[in-house]
Amino acid sequence: MSVLRFTAADLVKAPSGRDARRRRADRFMRGIMFVTAAIAVVPLIGLITYIITNGLPFLTSQLIVNSPLDIEPGISNAIIGSLQLTIASIIVAAPVGIAGGVYLNEFASPRVSSAGELLIDVMLGTPSIIAGLFAFLVVVPALGFSGYAAIVALSVLMIPIVMRTTQEVIRLVPAGVREASLALGIPVWKTTIFVTCRTAASGLLTGVVLAVSRGLGETAPLLLTAKGTNDTEILNFGSTMNAMPIVIYRYSSSPDSLLIGQAWATALVLLVIALTLNVLVRFRTVNNRVA
Amino acid sequence: MEEEKGKGMKRSEVNTAGSTQASKTASSAATNAHASHNSTEGSLNLKNLEVFYDKFRAVNNVSLNIEPKKVTALIGPSGCGKSTLLRAINRMHETIPNATVKGTITLDGIDIYGSLVDPVRVRRVIGMVFQKPNPFPTMSIFGNVASGLRLAGASSKDEIAGIVEESLKKAALWNEVKDKLNEPGTSLSGGQQQRLCIARAIAVRPEVILMDEPCSALDPIATLKIEELIRELRTEYTIVIVTHNMQQASRVSDSTAFFSMGEDRGGYLVESGLTPQIFTAPTQQLTEDYVAGRFG
Repeated sequence: MSVLRFTAADLVKAPSGRDARRRRADRFMRGIMFVTAAIAVVPLIGLITYIITNGLPFLTSQLIVNSPLDIEPGISNAIIGSLQLTIASIIVAAPVGIAGGVYLNEFASPRVSSAGELLIDVMLGTPSIIAGLFAFLVVVPALGFSGYAAIVALSVLMIPIVMRTTQEVIRLVPAGVREASLALGIPVWKTTIFVTCRTAASGLLTGVVLAVSRGLGETAPLLLTAKGTNDTEILNFGSTMNAMPIVIYRYSSSPDSLLIGQAWATALVLLVIALTLNVLVRFRTVNNRVA
Repeated sequence: MEEEKGKGMKRSEVNTAGSTQASKTASSAATNAHASHNSTEGSLNLKNLEVFYDKFRAVNNVSLNIEPKKVTALIGPSGCGKSTLLRAINRMHETIPNATVKGTITLDGIDIYGSLVDPVRVRRVIGMVFQKPNPFPTMSIFGNVASGLRLAGASSKDEIAGIVEESLKKAALWNEVKDKLNEPGTSLSGGQQQRLCIARAIAVRPEVILMDEPCSALDPIATLKIEELIRELRTEYTIVIVTHNMQQASRVSDSTAFFSMGEDRGGYLVESGLTPQIFTAPTQQLTEDYVAGRFG
């Protein structure tokens, strides 16, 4: 069978036949991919611009500093509440999630490990309202609508995220690093904490931040647990607490145009906090890699 | 610290397999600069050693005497259990699930598989250098060398600094890194990283250093430096090196043990002896074929 053979002279000829078709197909596919990428990005940009244009006019210093009970009402109690609830939840979820992920990867038998992974998958796929319902049915009857109930619901959502990320980054630590440590006569537990986890530290942090971002934005579980309040509660997890997603939910369905505007502004604040957090972590991880 | 450890141990100088080297032991004692290192400290004796992965017997009935303060090379074709055997010597193979050992390994007369023996401690006494340089990626050059002391020992800061410097000097790396001790260990070249790993291994002051093809990932010049280093280190440490490179074995080692694979794919010891003898006048045809490059 003769093979299509080119000479130098062919190189300057205009493409024809197969070549032309190939070029057309190439351009076409590239066009499709551009369009699909745009479909993915445009709504996101639209969303952000929409939040900014609607929220910015209402984003005043009073909004951030004042509580809903002040003469010029703000959402300070929701900001404070969100931060408290998220921090408290991650304090519960991070150690449990990291330790759990490390256990599944480093110590568990294959059977336990795969059972654990299945469980994580199920938990990751659980709609957040189920977590809220769980806290509503288990914690609320005992402690009432409260910060504690919210913390339970949020940690239930955060733990699998931290666990999964932990597993993934621990898996990336080269076996040689663990071996080197064990061969130095460093005990297994120290190897795990000071070598394996330290090597994966930036990845572990990413997992924690992912979980925090998730927790910051959760609405449904908070409605069923912390419930929302106009009071400012500081470290009073036994009482109902306010949070930004609750404010967004409640205010946006109100007939009062000021409250609707404040809902947009709250969304903007939430967006900025989440974004800042992500950027900070990205900086840290990049720096770590360079150092 | 070393001396205390030595006191508790019975010294055994029974040489069954390779007693031809007894005269050489004396000369190495003379060149031994460190008083803390006893000349017979670090003699290994493997007896009827068998290593299993599950039911598969990877190493078959190996008896071998490893002389203190000497370099012993383990050579043989791929898959004949050299690395497995090496890892059994500091119980590193135990990190692989279902790996088991039969027979005995004694270090200075002490059975390292004895019921009272903690594998973690065995690895303090018998260090290891791996095929691929594996410095801890998040630690500095200094931190890498200090890691064993910081995490497994209880040394003061000043002491650690002294030991780090001493170890880097012994590993012939000090001059290259003394001005950048705080830079990450992974910033070094491959050969330097391997010397860093050697410095890290000797910082915890082992008696024996196991090397699993330490040069196979390195270029020829870096290889030469490591080989030079191995020859220097043998005045203080017993060194067991697995290598695929027969020239390397003949260059660096005092004794050589040749392994081959049996019918059941289990590795066994064909013969062992002084390196010149193995390379020039082996008693087994198989050894001769192998060192002549006719197979493997």
